Amino acid sequence: MYKQGIGEFKYFVGISSLAQVATREDRVCVLNILGGESSEVTPVGHAWSGGNVVFGTSPGRRGQVLETPAGDIPVYNSVREGLDDGHAFNCGVVYLPPAAARDGVAELIRVNPGLRKVFIITEKIAVHDAREIRAMGQANGIDIFGANCLGVADSWNRVRIGGALGGDSPGDTLKPGSIAILSNSGGFTTTIAQYLRMAGWGTTTLVSSGKDVYIHYAAPEFAFALANDARSRAAVLYCEPGGFYEREAHFTKPVVACVVGRWKGRLTRAVGHAGAMAGGHDDAAAKEAWFMDKFGVDGLYTPENPVFSAKGAVVTNIAHIPAALTAVMRANATLPDFAPEGSMELKPWFGGNPGIRLPPALDLPAVKAIAPYDAQIAALAGQVGAVFPRQAMKDASGASQMDAATQISSLHGVSMLDAAQAPFEANVCLALLRERGGDNDGKLVNVAVGALLGLHGSPALAAAQAARDAGNAPNAVIAAALAIVGPRAAEASRALLCRLVDAFAAAGLKDAGDADFELADIDADGSLRAACRAAAPDPLAELLLAGLAARGARSVFVRFLQQGDGPPSADAVLAAIAATLAWGPLMRKRISRLTVDHLPWWLRLLATALGASADAARHAPGRFCGIALEALVVGHDLADFAHLALLGSLPGDSARGALQTLLGLLLSNGPGTISAQGAKGAVSADGPETPERVQLNKALLGALTHTGYAHGGNGFEGVAFLIERFRDCALADPADREHGLDLAAMARAYAADYADYKAARKAAGSADLRKIPGVNHPVFKDKPVNHDPRERFVHRLLAARGEYNVFHDYYLQLVQALHDGGVSRTVYCVNIDAVIAALLLGMTWQAWRDDELPAAALEQGAFAVFLFARLAGCAAEIEDHLNRGRNMDTRTPASRCQHVA
Amino acid sequence: MQITGMLYGARLLQFTDFPCAEVLGPDASEEEIKGLIERHGSVFVKPLFKGGVGKKGKAGLIGRAADLKSALAEKERLYFVEHRHGQQVAKANGVTFEGAVPAEHEIYFSITDSTHFRAPTMTLTHRGGMDIEELDKAQVAQVPFDSLTGLKAFVVANALADIGAPKQIISPLVQHLPRLWELFHDFGMTTLELNPIRMRADRRGRLKPVACDFKCGFDRDDPRWHRLKLPAHLFAADYSDFEQEINQLRTHQGQSDVYVINERGSILAPTFGGGANSLVTEMLGDDAIISSDFGGNPPYEKMKAVAAICFKHWLRQANVLFIIGGKSNNTDIFETFRAMADALREHFSQHGPTPLYVVAGRGGPNLVRGMGMLRDTCEALGLPYRLFGFDSAMSEVVDYAREANQWMQGAGRQLVAERLGVAAAA
Repeated sequence: MYKQGIGEFKYFVGISSLAQVATREDRVCVLNILGGESSEVTPVGHAWSGGNVVFGTSPGRRGQVLETPAGDIPVYNSVREGLDDGHAFNCGVVYLPPAAARDGVAELIRVNPGLRKVFIITEKIAVHDAREIRAMGQANGIDIFGANCLGVADSWNRVRIGGALGGDSPGDTLKPGSIAILSNSGGFTTTIAQYLRMAGWGTTTLVSSGKDVYIHYAAPEFAFALANDARSRAAVLYCEPGGFYEREAHFTKPVVACVVGRWKGRLTRAVGHAGAMAGGHDDAAAKEAWFMDKFGVDGLYTPENPVFSAKGAVVTNIAHIPAALTAVMRANATLPDFAPEGSMELKPWFGGNPGIRLPPALDLPAVKAIAPYDAQIAALAGQVGAVFPRQAMKDASGASQMDAATQISSLHGVSMLDAAQAPFEANVCLALLRERGGDNDGKLVNVAVGALLGLHGSPALAAAQAARDAGNAPNAVIAAALAIVGPRAAEASRALLCRLVDAFAAAGLKDAGDADFELADIDADGSLRAACRAAAPDPLAELLLAGLAARGARSVFVRFLQQGDGPPSADAVLAAIAATLAWGPLMRKRISRLTVDHLPWWLRLLATALGASADAARHAPGRFCGIALEALVVGHDLADFAHLALLGSLPGDSARGALQTLLGLLLSNGPGTISAQGAKGAVSADGPETPERVQLNKALLGALTHTGYAHGGNGFEGVAFLIERFRDCALADPADREHGLDLAAMARAYAADYADYKAARKAAGSADLRKIPGVNHPVFKDKPVNHDPRERFVHRLLAARGEYNVFHDYYLQLVQALHDGGVSRTVYCVNIDAVIAALLLGMTWQAWRDDELPAAALEQGAFAVFLFARLAGCAAEIEDHLNRGRNMDTRTPASRCQHVA
Repeated sequence: MQITGMLYGARLLQFTDFPCAEVLGPDASEEEIKGLIERHGSVFVKPLFKGGVGKKGKAGLIGRAADLKSALAEKERLYFVEHRHGQQVAKANGVTFEGAVPAEHEIYFSITDSTHFRAPTMTLTHRGGMDIEELDKAQVAQVPFDSLTGLKAFVVANALADIGAPKQIISPLVQHLPRLWELFHDFGMTTLELNPIRMRADRRGRLKPVACDFKCGFDRDDPRWHRLKLPAHLFAADYSDFEQEINQLRTHQGQSDVYVINERGSILAPTFGGGANSLVTEMLGDDAIISSDFGGNPPYEKMKAVAAICFKHWLRQANVLFIIGGKSNNTDIFETFRAMADALREHFSQHGPTPLYVVAGRGGPNLVRGMGMLRDTCEALGLPYRLFGFDSAMSEVVDYAREANQWMQGAGRQLVAERLGVAAAA
């Protein structure tokens, strides 16, 4: 049952010429206009087509509008409401979900007698519904396009209806010319138009037919309308396997047919396009044959073997369409519509070979893109640094991770075992810059932190001392000092740093240590140099510069400051140091601009944490723990600063090695540790989506408040245990292999004591045994002889350095004695806590023995070493979280919280 | 998504009360088989294949037995038989026993959607039981009908008259065949074929159609077939683990049709658009691991999930990650590239780096931002890459990807692996 249309079709066709497919007079109603896809593409099409959409529907949203550059489109609950409001239309566009598309077509047809054309964009419509849509259109004399298509467009009329042909800038692709396009692929409709344009061919009407089983507007009626369109001199058809549509088409104008999908002959079911079933008489090979028969050619057109006739050519690669078309049209004595606009040869817009030599065929240089993309790429090049996607970062980290099997954590890909072998300044760089940096970076960090260590007379030191005097643990003492070092502490440096980065990025600086980099072109108006100048000579700036000079630190930025006609400010020098440190990682996109901006603040916070750990009495003008700051910036490093802060003296070689090992090992233990959770919670609460509001010092306070006697201070348990064992023996130097103690006998004695204790507790019926600190581990157990790999690592490290630690040795004897004495079924491992205690006590034994250090100070010292390392590790978590996280992303949903009665 | 054979066919035909041959499944007892033979004189023994497998009769894969011993012998022969038909190789798992229906007339009947008529179309002949293609066209009726009114009795009557069908079969067929439309249309089928329908005479000589073989295909975009409550394993053979995992993400918003081309391929090519998919897979041949169409403007989360699944299954063996599509109309390049780049970054984080050459060819909204994102990721991960705009012919970009693959197969993979500090082996 069909309404009689034009031509001799045995079904209804209403369009007699392609010029009628999309006209300036067409008025459009869009169903589900506010849906995701429509709300993106309808405004573009509406504006390009001179405002052809009269209204849209979206049930329950009457009164809303879809904003477009050509004015708002009103939205109604239904088609009837729109018509009742006085709107009239002849084209319906269906953006409804698949289950609703059929009913949408029914609504359009039944409610609007003026309807002539329907464009169905919806894909994955059931064949069941497509059958009924077809029948409705036929019975009522409606031309339907699609489904599963991208609508139609007319380059002459500058109109597109339904879908998104031409993308977000239709005029870029749809240039008026003489070629009509019918394509099974919506994407290729635009791509083919683009290819044609490059070869000098413009377009008339473009029809994206869709590729479902039912193609409502297909090749036969397209051929008919092509014949009647005076503007179109030829057509390009893009055909995929499935359906007999093309076989029935009778062309009177030249055609280039691109038939693809021969590979689908190997497949056994529909792939991609629903109609593209293999194995029938409508596969790709069959379609090629139909067209060859129509065109009177005996082969496919390829550049090597150009087979064509005046009627047409068959290609299997869309890249060959323009050449085939030009050849066919030449046979019809017709030249392209305009001069070719480009070539289709390979033109990479971006490329990189990270340190790899590629063969010449692959090593294509990036070329300038066509307008307007070239300008966009140039703008992109101006952006330096990494951009991280935001996501919920609860219990997640892009900085650290712990391997649950080995219990070994890593920070930015560096395991804590490796970190334990690196100087602390390298680990600080790793935490803040995601790379350990080189020798030069170490110098810069040591100078900056050393110069900022002197806190004499500062509110931060006063706050720390007040906290210390009130009996607080080191975490609260350091927190009191850091709370004072708020955003304003580094505001000036940050502003200068920002300008330095902008200026040098624009100048194309690659290596921040480049001694030959030309500075003359930087800061042409001199405003940056002026901003970096101090009104009067600044002692801190001089201290920093002296340290840099003495160490021979290289920095383009410092050189730039020194070229000014006055002394630079301390903020400027600090900014220059930060810029030098950050430049490599920033250019390699390891870190973001945001992280760079934070560097001066981080350096201040680190120096304050170290400085405030020393009693206020050890601070004097220009001196820290009795050593002049001038000496500190010239010849000492972070391990020295830490040792000074802890014990008031410079470390010997052995203590320095132990301290370095500890500061590396304790850097991080993954995002699940309480300290990291505290830091991340503090960032989350400030709102990382507005990162400039995140208070770095407060975030460190979050970490500090999430350490304590149980987390971080527990090194003391091991220390206390060891002191108890060694208190009464005449141990002079724990690093001396010739200590003269019978460690095996000491271990046996303790094992026997512990066995008695255990038996007594058992006899008393108690299963609650006191644990021996530093032995056994929940993961590393159940083998006959167990090892904590981290302990083994430190053991090998000490051996390689030729160092010795008697406490560590004692622990190894102890686990054997516990087994031999029948206390343990297996030989327990000596765990990492024992190693920390042994190293700490090794460092402090002398001071404790000489009564310089009370036992309580040992606990404080053990805790403070942990804090120094962990603050650096938490700085990495904080930077990571504020770069990647979302506001309040660490909260736990109420549904996952428990109430305990 | 096809069903062949009477084991499930008989159950489906019950929905429309269409008579069919008595059938027993692979777990039938000897007593049941014996009883079936006694009732029908003989039984057909047919291997059970998952999905649609044709031409079994021609391949000698249908046994007939008039006694229990022969029936069991045929069962043994056919239970795990292999069937090769064109490119397909199928392995049986079980047999059915179908009671023989003695008859003078064998009918072929099918309904499918014809792209010639652009309507549901009945194909009918009274010369059934053989390949329809082998018959003279005058003996076969192909009749389109209106889907809103359905297959009506008069359509069947007229068709049988046109092909000169014997008059004694017309009335029973006119009564029974139109019911099949409801089975076809209401349960999401795209094709339904009964061949043969045998015309069994009752005691008074009146003929009644009995379906003796069954074949149907379902539309996976149509939820109506869920009403049939068919066991999921019927269609499970169609999909690999990877395909099942990725096709769970299949919704109308953003396509995700994926098919494994070569499990040992070395180019992982997420393609965008059906057209790009056809072109690219054809040119890549066996180098391609999967055929995919991720076009249709997938949202970020979906694209990332799809990419993550692809990477999880295939990235280790891939030499080239080849992201390719034409100049998109509405697919947001920034969103899709960002999603893939993030999935790649996360994959490297979770599973460690793997040597890879990244090639992309694309056009569309937010193109430069999307490429910038991909570039940054490649740089951060230390991977060689080239990103082409839509002004490079897609086929040239495909050739570039193949060349990169060849280089990786030679010295390249080792070089990239050394750069990443990992082993080159897949």
